[in-house]
Amino acid sequence: MMIPIRCFTCGALIADKWEEYARRVRQGEEPKSILDSMNLKRYCCRRMILSHTDLIDEILPFSQKIRKKEEEYL
Amino acid sequence: MNVKIIKLEGNELRFVLEGVDVSIANALRRVMLAEVPSMAIDEVIIIENTSPVFDEMLAHRLGLIPLVTDLESYVLPEECECRGEGCIKCTLTLTLEKNAEEEGVIVYSSDLQSQDPVVRPVSGNIPIAKMARGQRIVLEAHARLGKGKVHAKWQPVSTCAYKYMPILEIKEEKCIRCGDCVSFCPKGVLAVEGERLVVKNILDCSLCKSCEEVCRFDAVKVSWDDKSFIFNIESTGALPPSEIVRVAINILLKKLSDLAEGVPIAVREEAH
Repeated sequence: MMIPIRCFTCGALIADKWEEYARRVRQGEEPKSILDSMNLKRYCCRRMILSHTDLIDEILPFSQKIRKKEEEYL
Repeated sequence: MNVKIIKLEGNELRFVLEGVDVSIANALRRVMLAEVPSMAIDEVIIIENTSPVFDEMLAHRLGLIPLVTDLESYVLPEECECRGEGCIKCTLTLTLEKNAEEEGVIVYSSDLQSQDPVVRPVSGNIPIAKMARGQRIVLEAHARLGKGKVHAKWQPVSTCAYKYMPILEIKEEKCIRCGDCVSFCPKGVLAVEGERLVVKNILDCSLCKSCEEVCRFDAVKVSWDDKSFIFNIESTGALPPSEIVRVAINILLKKLSDLAEGVPIAVREEAH
């Protein structure tokens, strides 16, 4: 849903790098060069960022609707 | 015993440890992974959470955030005078309160308000949750010192590994400088310079023996020194890597002195 805080395998902090990565990919930069510049050397940490899909934005509108329904019910 | 630091940059430390046995190198590695204490959020009291991120998920994410640790001012809860009940010497309170006044507000680790300005999240850019308009998160978190053997969130290192010091032997009389070993080496250790095959960066060698296998003339031989180790340590940011090594050595020495004191007592008790 959201980027995991740490790498599943080695435990290094990766969450703080996600937003910069996503922004730079949108600007058309090559993922390899971004990961290299972020000093993510091991493939365990690289796959965390590379294979992540941020789904929280898809869930966000539903959470609000469910909340409203709940309040109406009360 | 001899220690040579190759690289000390930010959270990374690379050094060569010479003249010790594997058992000592491995003991040091295991103490660094499992016994060096660091700070992490251990308990979360959620007062209000209307975000799509569930309470347990929120608590889990908070727990994994590495906190800058101050080993001087805090003690482990099991060694504390309060016997782990939670006092200012062993527990630190962090609070978080955020309202979403607009759509898609992200809660960052920098929104955590710490009681102690020294102990704070390693990075302020860690996204914890995302909220839609009108949603709200209010919580209180208790951070404690802990050890990696209890939970990986208390591990002060992400990588902590060693390898034997590689030895590459080149037999000049057999080598024809074909360059096969140079192109086969995945780490780029070898190079042909002029009329000679030379070892460029021996520390990068992973002992894969590709060069040995590909050579048709038996001109390259890979071996290692089992009394010499290249240590690679990467901190999560909780403690500086040099501090991790120092604390690990002290813990190891404490364990050994406890053993030395304990054995005669046990022997005496056995005699009775």
